[in-house]
Order: sequence, then C-alpha cells, then structure tokens
Amino acid sequence: MDANIALINQFFEMEQKMVAEQLADKFDRNLRRIQHIFEASGLIIVNPAGEAYSESRTDYEASIVGSPGPNLKITKVIKPIIYQNDSQGRQLLQKGIVIAEQV
Amino acid sequence: MKSINFGIDLGTTNSLITKYENGKVTIFKHPIGHKETLASVVAFRPGRTLVGDKAREFLTKDPVNIFANFKRRMGTDDKFYVVNLDENVTPVELSTLVLKELKQFVYSGEDVEAAVITIPASFDTMQSNATKKAGLAAGFREVLLLQEPIAASLAYFNNQENNADRDGYWLVYDLGGGTFDIALMQIKEGEMKVVDHEGNNFLGGADFDFGIIEKIIIPYVTEHFGIENFEEELRKNNGKYEQLFYELIYKSEEAKKELSQQHETQIDFILDGQEVLLTITREELENTLKTRVSDTISMLKNILNRNELGTHDIEEILLVGGSTYIPYVRQQLAQHTGIKVNSQIDPTTAVAIGAAYYAANKYYQPEAGIELGENVEDLLSRISADDADPGTYLHPASDIELIVSYSQMSKDTEEVLIIKAGNNWEGKTYRIIRSDGGFDTGFVAMKSKFTEFLPLLHNTNNLFYLRIYDEEQNEIKSALKEISITQGQFNIAGQPIPQDICIEVDDKENHTTRLEVIFEKNAVLPQKKTLYREISKTIKQGAEDSIIINILEGDRNARALSNLVIACIEISGKDLTSDLIKGSDIELQITMSDNRELQTEVFLVMTQQEFKNAFSLSEKHVNIDRLKEQFIDLENEIRNSIKMFSHDENDVWAIQANDFLKELMQHKNELFKLKEDDRTDAKYVIAEVLNRVSQAYDKLGGEDRLERLRYEYLEAKEYIENHLPMADFKKEDLGQTYSKLLKGEHQVLISRNPSILEKATEKMNSLAWDILWNTLSYIISRYEGFKGLAPDEFKNYEGAKPIFRAADQALSNERYHEFRQHVYSITHLLVHNEYKIQNDDFKGTGIG
Repeated sequence: MDANIALINQFFEMEQKMVAEQLADKFDRNLRRIQHIFEASGLIIVNPAGEAYSESRTDYEASIVGSPGPNLKITKVIKPIIYQNDSQGRQLLQKGIVIAEQV
Repeated sequence: MKSINFGIDLGTTNSLITKYENGKVTIFKHPIGHKETLASVVAFRPGRTLVGDKAREFLTKDPVNIFANFKRRMGTDDKFYVVNLDENVTPVELSTLVLKELKQFVYSGEDVEAAVITIPASFDTMQSNATKKAGLAAGFREVLLLQEPIAASLAYFNNQENNADRDGYWLVYDLGGGTFDIALMQIKEGEMKVVDHEGNNFLGGADFDFGIIEKIIIPYVTEHFGIENFEEELRKNNGKYEQLFYELIYKSEEAKKELSQQHETQIDFILDGQEVLLTITREELENTLKTRVSDTISMLKNILNRNELGTHDIEEILLVGGSTYIPYVRQQLAQHTGIKVNSQIDPTTAVAIGAAYYAANKYYQPEAGIELGENVEDLLSRISADDADPGTYLHPASDIELIVSYSQMSKDTEEVLIIKAGNNWEGKTYRIIRSDGGFDTGFVAMKSKFTEFLPLLHNTNNLFYLRIYDEEQNEIKSALKEISITQGQFNIAGQPIPQDICIEVDDKENHTTRLEVIFEKNAVLPQKKTLYREISKTIKQGAEDSIIINILEGDRNARALSNLVIACIEISGKDLTSDLIKGSDIELQITMSDNRELQTEVFLVMTQQEFKNAFSLSEKHVNIDRLKEQFIDLENEIRNSIKMFSHDENDVWAIQANDFLKELMQHKNELFKLKEDDRTDAKYVIAEVLNRVSQAYDKLGGEDRLERLRYEYLEAKEYIENHLPMADFKKEDLGQTYSKLLKGEHQVLISRNPSILEKATEKMNSLAWDILWNTLSYIISRYEGFKGLAPDEFKNYEGAKPIFRAADQALSNERYHEFRQHVYSITHLLVHNEYKIQNDDFKGTGIG
C-alpha cells in the first residue's frame, strides 16, 4: 500500500507540473487513464485545490499563509488526499498537505 | 482486581495510547488518518475546540487561542488566557483534553478505566501530581505514572531474549520532534531505576528540518538566483515567500527521511516562476546536524562524568524518538562513545509500548456492578444508592432530545444538517465525525437549534456520527446518531434507466461475444463512464475489416442478439491512419444524458485517432458480416437444442425450436447474398428477425428448461469434481481452468437465459473431456479401442502402424508421457476426429 501512495504522490506531482507548464492537455488521456487505474483498485484521489479552507476538514493538514481571514482558500496542494475503498468501507489513507491563504 | 493494561505516552509534541493483551501490545491508531500519534495541541477556535493535528494549523497565526508544548508547564501555576473563551485554562486542563482525545482511539469501544501515563525523568513531584490530576479528570479511575526512560527500557528488554539476569548500566537516548532527553539507567538487585538525566527542551527533528532550509536551500538560492532579502522574506511572518517557507519545511522533512534510506535526494520548487531543482547529499545533511548531535553527545558524556562512569561501564544505548532514525545520529553515538547502539524497536512507539507492558502487571479496582436484589424495589434502591455515591463512575446518561433533519441524497458537495435540541442541552457539546476520517467538527457547544455543513465525497455514501458530550466531555452514548448521505449516485429528480446498457465484447475463447454492463438498470441519468479495453484482432490500414462498437439495451446476461442495439459505431481499416495491432488499447467514453441521448468518444491509442458520435436512440446501424456470424451462431444453437430435445424425447420443445429454425432459414439465402454496401432495408429486416427469434428461443420451455439446464450444468460439474483428482497429466492446469469456470458460477446459476447456461455447461463438458484425455486409464482404454478399428477408419492406416508400435513400446516401458503423445497423434489420423476443429475465422467485434 505504501508503494501505491508513493506512486500516487509522484503521479500527482507530475500532473501539477504539467498543469504549470500548460502541458496537461497534451497528456490529458494518459492522466485520466492513470486516475482510472487507481480508482479501479479502490484508491480515490482528491485534490482540494481552490476549495474553501475548513477547520473541520480533517483529511488535510494546512499551513496558513498571510493573515487569516474569513475567506481562506486552498491555494496549493503539496500532497493529495487519498482514500481507500475496501471491504471494510472507506478510510483515509493519506491526509493532504495543503497551503491556505486569504483571497 | 483487574489488570490496567492501557499505556499512554503523553508527549510534549505527540501522544500515543497502547494496550497489552494476550502477550502483545496494540498501538491504537487515530480514527482520523490512522496515524499512531496525536499531536499534543489544543485549539479554542471560534465556536469549537480542536485537539490534535488539526489544532496545529493556526498555531502561528492565532497563538492566543492555540496551545502546544504545555507539558513543559505542568505543575506550575501558569494559566493561559483564551481570548475566544474569555477565560483561563491550565496545563492540566489542556492535558486532560489530549488524554480524552486519546481515549477515542480505542476502536474496540471499551472504556479505558485506568491507565499508566509516562512522564519525563525530569518531572518533579508537582509535575507528576499534575499529570495524575489530568488523568483523573479525563475519566480514569486509576492513574499510575511511569518514567519515560523506564518505559522505553521495558519495551526494549521485553523484545529481547534472556533478560532474566540483566544487571548494570545503560543509557536511554531520546531525540524526538522537539525535545532531547538522556537518562542513565541501572538495574541493581532486580530493581530498575533512573540514576541521572539531562535534556534540552528545544532540540529535535524540527530543528533539523529548519537546518536544511537555513544551511542548504537559502545559500543555494542566494547564490544562483541573487534574490535580495530572500532569507528575511522567507522567515518573516506574512513575508513574500511565506507560502514557500511552509512548502520547504514539508519538503525538507521528506528529504531528511529519504536521506536516512539513500545517499542523495532532490528538492524541487517554483521560485518566482522559475523551477529550482536542488540535489542534497547525505553528507550535506550531516553537516547541518553536526553541532546539534555533538551537543547531545556532550550531554551524554556529562552524565557519565558526573556519575564517575566510563563508556566501558555502559552496556548499551537504547534509542527513542523519531530523530534517532537518522543514520548519522547512530553513527556518531557509536563512534564517539564506543558503546553498542540498540535500535531494535520502533523508537517512536517505544515509550508507549513500555507503558503497556508495565500496565499489564498493575491492577485497579474496576467499577462495581449493580447486584440484583430480591425484587424490583430492591434493585431500584441499589441503583439510587449508587447514583448518590460520588465515588462511583457511571456512564453519563441523558434525556436530551435531538431532532436531526437532512437530505439523505445529495448532488452537492456539502449538505446542511439541522439539529434541534430539547431537554437538558445546556452545557453540553457535540462533535460530528465522518466515518472515513475526512471530517471532524471538534467539540462544539450545543444550542437549541444549530446547523452544520457536512462535506460529501463524490458518488458514494457518506456516513457521519453525531456524538453528544456532557459538561465533563464524557460521551453520552445513548445520544449517538448516525447520519448517512449518498452523494451523486441517486437523484430523485432524475430518470432511471429501464434496462442495462451494455457493450458487446469478444469472448474469443468461446468464439462468441458477451455483454459487459456500462450502466446498470435503474442507474439514474445522466451517466458517464470510460472503458479501457484492448483491440482483439489486428486491422490493417485500408482493409475492409473493422471494429464494431455495439451498444445494447436489455438484459446483461442475455445473448447480444436478444437485446436492442441502441448504437453501433464501425471503424474500418479504411478509417485508420496506420495499422491497428491486436492488443493495442482502445478507450471508450460513453455518456447518456438526461434525455437519453447517447454519446460515444472512441480513442485508438495506437493510431492516436478519435471518433466522436452522438446518437438519438432511433438510429440503427447493421454490419452485414457480423450479422452473418450471429445468424450462424443462433442457427447452430437452435439445431443443437433440437437434437437435445429429441434425444430427451421432449417433442413439444423440439417442434417449437424447429419452427424457430424454419423462420430463420427463410432469410438465410437472402442474408448471405447481401453485400456490405447494400442500400436496401433487407439487413434491417433480417436483424429484426434474428432479434425476435433469439428472444423467443431464449424463452422456449420457460422455467422447466432453465431447471433442466441448471441440472445439466451441475451434473457436468459433479463429473469434473469426481474425475479431476484422477488426472495423471497437467493436473494443476486443469485445476486452474476449473477454478476459473467456478468464478462465474453464481451468475450462471441465477441467469434466466438458457444460452448462458448452455454455454457454461458446454465449457464444463469440454473441460471434462480434457481431464479424460489427461487420465492414463482412459487413454489406455481409448487406445485399445483404436487398435480394434478397421483400416478404413483411418485417413492413413500405413502411417498409423509405426505410431501404434511406438505407443506399445512406450506403454510397456512405462513412458506414459510419450505414450500419451502417440495416442494423440493417432487421433489425428482418424477419419472421425474427436477433436473439435476450432473456427479461427471468428470475426467478433474486435473489442476484447
């Protein structure tokens, strides 16, 4: 399972780099395919980028940048959230590592 | 008396809870995120109290309401003013909250009535008493304290053999996330004690992470990018590079961990739009650690000098704390002291494990049960007497009334929960947790009416627990409520699909096709799915051959022919930009909108071609080659059934099947004359007939026929089970084939489609033949039979003669493999070859 998490983290990082370099469209199919492979084996990858920050969301650990205000948003995701679906139900496998800022 | 069994490492930065049971220690994991540790941090955020990792997030931004490292203040009269509460909290109260949160880790649901809590060797009586007070306030009936170095030693010693006669000195070196402690330990006449100790409350792993930023990253960036004030802007609160700072803290910690395993690692990040890629070697990391590790060794030597001991007097150094994973720390200790370094157990959990071992041999008086009296009055009086006794701990009970309202199905990413509380809600708190650990409100004060927004994961059921706590934050278990909300999958406003929507794919093994479900019956529209398959035959560029994507509506267990084709896309060799090789990937994205418009996107990975089609459900497309193949398939099936029915003297069914065959045969000539470019309606008419006959044939005989087919299937299965153990050759392969067949058995037996049952029985029978032809006694008996055949029964009798001689010789010399091979060769020379000649010309859909 650790190998799967490591693999997802690498995949996620590559995806982020492709987005930053505006290459994501070119690899869109491959990215979706890889995502599908993970999902088929019960791994759900969640990218909370752009969502409003919530103190009640325990599926990520956030570092708050700047002065905190009422409209904190997740501006950067260093590691994605990973859930695992198996016979015992769904469980959180990896907390996301994110940065939240007032926008 | 009852054994305590529970151990707690109440740490400065992290805490853990363990339990001794049946000779083993279990480390309980955080129900959220399944980490073994809980951050010793409490946050009093507006409206809610958070304990643990989540509480740490606002630590630097809201220090007046968030408290960490309070362990250092235990036993003092320090009070922290909490702005959000407008009241003071004490270190004991904060520790109590951490201990209560640790109790939530115990997933078995049992009450933790007593525990051993560890304390640093440096704790004085006041600090120790304060820790005990926190434990009692957390609801433990009994609290025993144990010094951390002793706990760690117990964990190590219980992990080793031959400990009975241990005597002498050793050191416990504890380098954690934020603190360092070293203790000199001794066992003398069977008694273990801490002789001396020393420490630094501001030295640990966090300093090492920052060391990487300070001594490696900052100089690198300054040298290569020439950014003025980079260090200042990085370190400053609200500085230009504050976001980068948090990213680097995280990445430095990862790099540090990686360098414990490998000699080199890389850190990359974006700086003002430019990518920075930095290689860090283990040596560079070690340079940043040098001074700090050297400080710890100086403290170690101080202790030895103070106690007039030399390194030769010390048996070993036991490692505790996550930072002792770093190889440099271990090397330096060994190099500078010459003492054996013992790192045999997990240094992060050693203290908590040792606490559980200690707890296993300590006892407490459990809560007395209420004895039954002579009558009900007697029982009631005993209960009320127990109620009155303040020393008796009873589970909180409450008549609190909760009315919760929410939507059980939602298409939104969050759903509002409205709660109305009645009766005695004042002073109580609630907490809502999602079962997968992704959401936790923390402790929130109750009101008569309140709302919470519950975040939902997509396309799945989200289960939440609403728990209520009394004034002492003990859970009122009777008030627990489960809240289940399904996101996305169902929408009462949408229309359900009346039948399965399937795609026809090749079943090459059986020279037929089967249906694979895309959208299940009753799934609510709109639906979208991507299928990844392989091309099952090579199609040359420019050739007539094609791939057929056939989407059907009907019963997934039925024959494709019996279902309604709702979309058919044909991609022929003429459409291809290069050859499409068997085994290459095909991606099919199928979408069905609210108004049942079907859209397909087909992508051929090898040729990088995309084909998009949108269908309304009235268009039809018929491929004539495929239609011919289906026609033959159905014709053969009906003919076989007629033979079977006649054999079973089931005349009624035989006559009906014959009628179907007649109807079919009326169109055979016409169909086989048709060319692919035929523009008449003929192909549609024949497709319609095939569909109708196939459906009617499937229904022939009703339940009786299905019963009979199930019986035949089970009979074939029983035959295999009896004969498989007797196989002399390829037993393992045959066994695997059998297991593979059994995997699909459930679907076969529940199917109401005769064709599926017939095909499954056929597979079983075919396997049975294989087993027989791999069983020596059967091969011999058949061989004897072949010997008795007349020459005209062979295609080439003269050619068979030497094979017979060779077979005889092999048999008499017990060369059975060889004998079997000869018999196989003879079967090929028979006029009526028993082996089925496989039709390799199967076209199918081209999708595997």
